[in-house]
Amino acid sequence: MTPERAKEAVANMCNETGMDLSTQLGRLRLRNPILVASGTFGYAREMKGLVDLNRLGAIVPKTITQQPRLGNTPRRTVETPAGMLNSIGLDNDGIDAFILNHLPCLKQFEAATIVSIAGRTEAEFISMAQKLDQAEGVSALELNISCPNVTGGVDFGTDPEACRRVVQGVVRSCGVPVLAKLTPNVTDIAAIAQAAAAGGADAISVINTLLGMAVNWRGRRPILGNVMGGLSGPAIKPVALRCVYQVARAVDVPVVGIGGISTIDDVMEFLVAGASAIQLGTANFSDPTVSTRILDQLPAALAEAGVSSAMEIVGTLENKPPQPAVPDCCH
Amino acid sequence: MSNPPHSPHYADQAISCTVSVLENLQIARNTYRLRFESPQMSRRFLPGQFLMLRLAGLQDPLLGRPLALYDTVCKDDGTPRGIDVVYLVMGKMTSLLAEASPGDKLSVWGPLGNGFYPQPVNHLIMVAGGVGYTPFPAVAREHLGSRQYGQPARTTPGASRVSMCYGARSAEFLAGIENFSEIGVELHLATDNGSRGHHGLVTDVLEQVLEQSDSDSRRILCCGPEPMMKRVAEIAEQQQIDCDVSLETPMACGIGICFSCVARVREEADGWDYKRTCVDGPVFDARQIRW
Repeated sequence: MTPERAKEAVANMCNETGMDLSTQLGRLRLRNPILVASGTFGYAREMKGLVDLNRLGAIVPKTITQQPRLGNTPRRTVETPAGMLNSIGLDNDGIDAFILNHLPCLKQFEAATIVSIAGRTEAEFISMAQKLDQAEGVSALELNISCPNVTGGVDFGTDPEACRRVVQGVVRSCGVPVLAKLTPNVTDIAAIAQAAAAGGADAISVINTLLGMAVNWRGRRPILGNVMGGLSGPAIKPVALRCVYQVARAVDVPVVGIGGISTIDDVMEFLVAGASAIQLGTANFSDPTVSTRILDQLPAALAEAGVSSAMEIVGTLENKPPQPAVPDCCH
Repeated sequence: MSNPPHSPHYADQAISCTVSVLENLQIARNTYRLRFESPQMSRRFLPGQFLMLRLAGLQDPLLGRPLALYDTVCKDDGTPRGIDVVYLVMGKMTSLLAEASPGDKLSVWGPLGNGFYPQPVNHLIMVAGGVGYTPFPAVAREHLGSRQYGQPARTTPGASRVSMCYGARSAEFLAGIENFSEIGVELHLATDNGSRGHHGLVTDVLEQVLEQSDSDSRRILCCGPEPMMKRVAEIAEQQQIDCDVSLETPMACGIGICFSCVARVREEADGWDYKRTCVDGPVFDARQIRW
């Protein structure tokens, strides 16, 4: 199906069901809740030939840093059961190159652009936020305070007070909505989420990857050049779902669900558990057109749930005992 | 630099689809030729480009595997029908793939990457190690004028002589060697254990072939394990012969979005940067690579 035909088909489906797909992340209004996660969609230009980028709720391009970074020594990824480990190490050309080379392309698309930034210090986060605030085409910022592959990259994501300070510093220094992306590699993710909310975050993205490792026992070597890496993919979905549930119950700000989502059922589970939007990550690697296909399936799934808007289903998980399994023969 | 000015090859010509296996044939030890149906993809492919392939619907194994075009497949009337790729059984994914039967579904996306860029040359020398031989039958056919590729079909300047230096662990791993002879390629074999051809390294064979070639218009194309490609690049540099290498770095996506498959590529002023093999390659001028 051509992109035009697909767009038309979705428009028709929305008309028939009267389905409102839009969602609200604090000050950021999105046309739909299907986003693509940082580090899993390049700078979007790469995907232009495969995906109609105008249709997505938002694009989160690969995390940028103040200075260019080479990234980690290969090998950088390895597949694991139903998932993968990565230790890319924030390989990027720096904020100035991003504004010059990638932002002009990103702003052509109708999808919102949520720029993912990682600073080594609070001052660096603020200076990057101010620079992006002045640039054209930035819909929001996502603070990557959760990358497991960079020294010092997770301090802001593991210490509640450091998290609150950096979020507050960024929120006060720029005019665009701010999301904080959290790591699951903590004892109490709800406490970190509360700190981000107290700092004024418009929304909280959960989760980044789980720290993991792969070993070649014959060679007695780690498989990744950086020894450890972040685990992602379907293998981590239950952990992500649990984190979304915990965070959504702990804070009043919207939650963006990330972690192992690859089907429309996954999306619905995250929305019900409390996510106001979701990001597709590793699924983009194994199934490059997954984002728009799931978007095509969303109105029908929401209709099946008996709602007329995406926001209506958010956080509707009921505190009831699980339904007993019904044997197939009784259907 | 022998190649045209560099710009990344994004997946703008790629198709992502579910296809049916037509044939899955063992052609050497642990080595299979897989044929699937996709006229659209077949029309677009150029020698040296690759595709990503996975078993449809499975979450484990999860990621696609990069496989080079072995050749396009046409119907009797010459219209494009499908694609052949060759894989070596290495792990979980390729072990499952070896059990695939006609009609089984695969997820594929391609064509990807730059491929080998044809240049006018008198003597083209292809050097392959192991399963790295897979892009070369199509390269040879194109250079010898027996097949055209691309949409619209590109015209290749052609080579008057095409040699292939092909090394493998042992004779039973050598695949498709009769094809090369049929195409009109001069074949020079090497095996680690001496069971066929030269007993030793394929790079020794390359040096012999170069000694016996008096042409002043030569070019080397190379694909195989990194130490082999590094040595071929050194030989090419010493003899001042243009050399292109097709890198086999591990990939997760094949389309430039994950930044896994990086190689150290030289930049001006003696520096280097990590470049994505999938969109900046997989074929590089050997002088660009910092091994």
